[in-house]
Amino acid sequence: MSDLGFYAQWLALFVAAATAIAGAAAGITRSDDWASVARRGVYALFGLVTAALLCLFYAFATLDFQLEFVAQNAARSMALHYRIAALWGGQAGSLLLWTWMTVAYAAAAITVQRRERALVPWVCSVLAVNAAFFLILLNFASNPFDKLPPQHVMSDGNGLNPLLQHPVMMIHPLVLYTGLTGFSVPFAFALAALLSGQLGTTWMRVTRRWTLWAWCFLSIGILLGGRWAYEVLGWGGYWAWDPVENASFMPWLAGTAYLHSVMVQEKRDMLKIWNFVLIGLTYGLCLFGTMITRAGLVRSVHAFAQTEIFGVLFAGYVALLAVAFIAALLARVDALRSPNKLESVVSREAGFVINNWLFMAILAVVFFGTLYPKFSTWIQGREVLFGPQWFDGYLVWIALPLLFLTGVGPLLAWRYASPANLRRQLVAPIAAAALVFLALLGWLGVGEWLACLTWGIAALVTTTIAGEFWRATKAKMRGGISAPAALRKLFRTNQQRYGGYVVHLGVVFLFIGFAGQALDTERLENLAPGGSLEIAPYRFEYKTAVALPKQHYGGAEARIALFKHDEPLATLTPEKRMYWLEQQPSSIPAVYSTFGEDVYVILTAIEPNGSATLKVFVNPLVNWIWLGGLTFVFGTVLVMWPHPSHPQRAAA
Amino acid sequence: MSKGVQIAIGALIIAGLVMWLGASQSGEARFTYFQTLGEFQQNGTVGEPVRVHGFVALGTIERDVAAKRVTFAVQEHAPHAGGAAGHALRVEYASLETPDLFKDGAEVVVEGKLTPAGTFHATNLLAKCPSKFEAMAKEQGTRI
Repeated sequence: MSDLGFYAQWLALFVAAATAIAGAAAGITRSDDWASVARRGVYALFGLVTAALLCLFYAFATLDFQLEFVAQNAARSMALHYRIAALWGGQAGSLLLWTWMTVAYAAAAITVQRRERALVPWVCSVLAVNAAFFLILLNFASNPFDKLPPQHVMSDGNGLNPLLQHPVMMIHPLVLYTGLTGFSVPFAFALAALLSGQLGTTWMRVTRRWTLWAWCFLSIGILLGGRWAYEVLGWGGYWAWDPVENASFMPWLAGTAYLHSVMVQEKRDMLKIWNFVLIGLTYGLCLFGTMITRAGLVRSVHAFAQTEIFGVLFAGYVALLAVAFIAALLARVDALRSPNKLESVVSREAGFVINNWLFMAILAVVFFGTLYPKFSTWIQGREVLFGPQWFDGYLVWIALPLLFLTGVGPLLAWRYASPANLRRQLVAPIAAAALVFLALLGWLGVGEWLACLTWGIAALVTTTIAGEFWRATKAKMRGGISAPAALRKLFRTNQQRYGGYVVHLGVVFLFIGFAGQALDTERLENLAPGGSLEIAPYRFEYKTAVALPKQHYGGAEARIALFKHDEPLATLTPEKRMYWLEQQPSSIPAVYSTFGEDVYVILTAIEPNGSATLKVFVNPLVNWIWLGGLTFVFGTVLVMWPHPSHPQRAAA
Repeated sequence: MSKGVQIAIGALIIAGLVMWLGASQSGEARFTYFQTLGEFQQNGTVGEPVRVHGFVALGTIERDVAAKRVTFAVQEHAPHAGGAAGHALRVEYASLETPDLFKDGAEVVVEGKLTPAGTFHATNLLAKCPSKFEAMAKEQGTRI
């Protein structure tokens, strides 16, 4: 079976190259024959890569330790589902999965969008070039089907990193890759539009749902990564501005800016060049992010180690794609100039422009903070590293205006917003914000003004969103229909707008949670059995430790009684594990979670004298982040949900 | 004033604020220098925030539970790969919270300051995460 996979992977490379050429030939000659060759090429490519992927899954399921990749990432003692997940636990396998996703997207996109005859051949070509690149990496630099020399084949393998043996970690890479690779579809349509000269809004309109889909998965993937860090890594936080986290956050920033600025083109026929730039940047950052993680370009706690050739190939491809895209765009610049100009700085389109600037500013800071350490050795002679405080200190000042804009932007009218009208609409939200800000400031003290300001702005945005729903529902109810029916009608007739508000509400919840960090408390204490420590109003009493007699790991579990105002609340059982095969320890925190705050306990060590060293956190409002994530995803689904009655869909 | 000029002014104000923030960020703990132990021993200065990379010298880890302190020595090259323990840096870490991967021979990064006495006061201790273990397995030739 593994031989079959090996040859399928090789053949796929040739098919990808042929498809790229056929697609370009179809695009240039406008010949239907070439176009159908290109389409079939994409389907064949999909078939071959699927076959290779299935072969690798089979090798993991049957533990074919002849394959170096299987031997490095699986072990007999692992349960089947983790053996399957081990496929994306290492470099070569996750690269094959990534390639499979890009070709699956290619096949799906040319099937669903087959009516776009002018664009599809070029789309085939662009996506085939993309697949060809990853197949070159797979076949030459990092092949999951490489066999070990016979004398090195052993009866068992290394096993998957135990930190990755967690349900969230099984799906987090899948979700993240679904998002990152998904941006290849809008990118391919944009490049196809530039190459074919079909510069209207077609490419943007047909890829709207694809973009939202990819963006939604990327958002979930980032949040799951945070959740995993919180539940498994055991340092009390969910985001550390690690280069790998930044690598997935950067394309999200560019993609979010794009989703906003396309609305300006749809409504006002402006920002056409800018939208091309943004989608190019988004996909470029998706590739760039994978590159810096996989090629070991930056110093990170969890980058894949890689050979030099890998990094050179990857950097070459990203540069090539960027140059090709920019050249194609420059060739069309004159045709893309908009006849419309910004009419007023107080208008919806100006709001979107400022939104884009702020997103770009965040992107610039994150990009600089992630990459400067790499170049600082040349510039300053020493390697400079930026800690979370650097990022937080910077980004707060860009993120808060952006949050404010989330509240004000939707109230601005297109073209020209009348200041009087705006003032009238803003009275209630600003009053709510001031009230929340001052009340919290009085309660928590002036030292926490920044967190209070965040919550104040959150109140402002919530009030404007509520106001928007209230006004629109009331208007619809004039027809004599009930409130729920009016609300449903609202989502039907203006799905994008009201779904978007739900997404914004999710963002508000996220910010409420982020600001909670300001009030985090932590304590490190060594307790003898029976001893206790207090973080008012909580008291932690260390009872005892029990051994963990599990198959794959041993270690201890501490039993801690948690009291609030001296009332017993729960028993917390943080664990300290030792995975035998991998010789790796791991701390599993115990969390008592409410909407107000999380009580988070890590068993740092059981000392030789029988005492336990505990690290205890009280983290306010963390659950708002997960709630925000869910709301955010729900809103995105509302925006992209296909309505049978929608005129655009009915035509398609 | 044309709209383009207004936008340009807005963009300039944002860019200016961002630069000002950057300039005002040079305070402590915002950023640190990263050096290998060899580089640090050549040109490290007392009192400057820094991160130093090295390997835990074998048998040097001492946990003082009562004083909530862990002391150990860091050497430049991996002891398992034959790195000598000479010129090791004495590290005092004022916490008991050691990372899971912290053990004899582990690749570590210590963050903190050098004291005039020549010991390193660490405020943060990082140990290498094992998704690097493809490379580690290759380096050490273990099991495969």
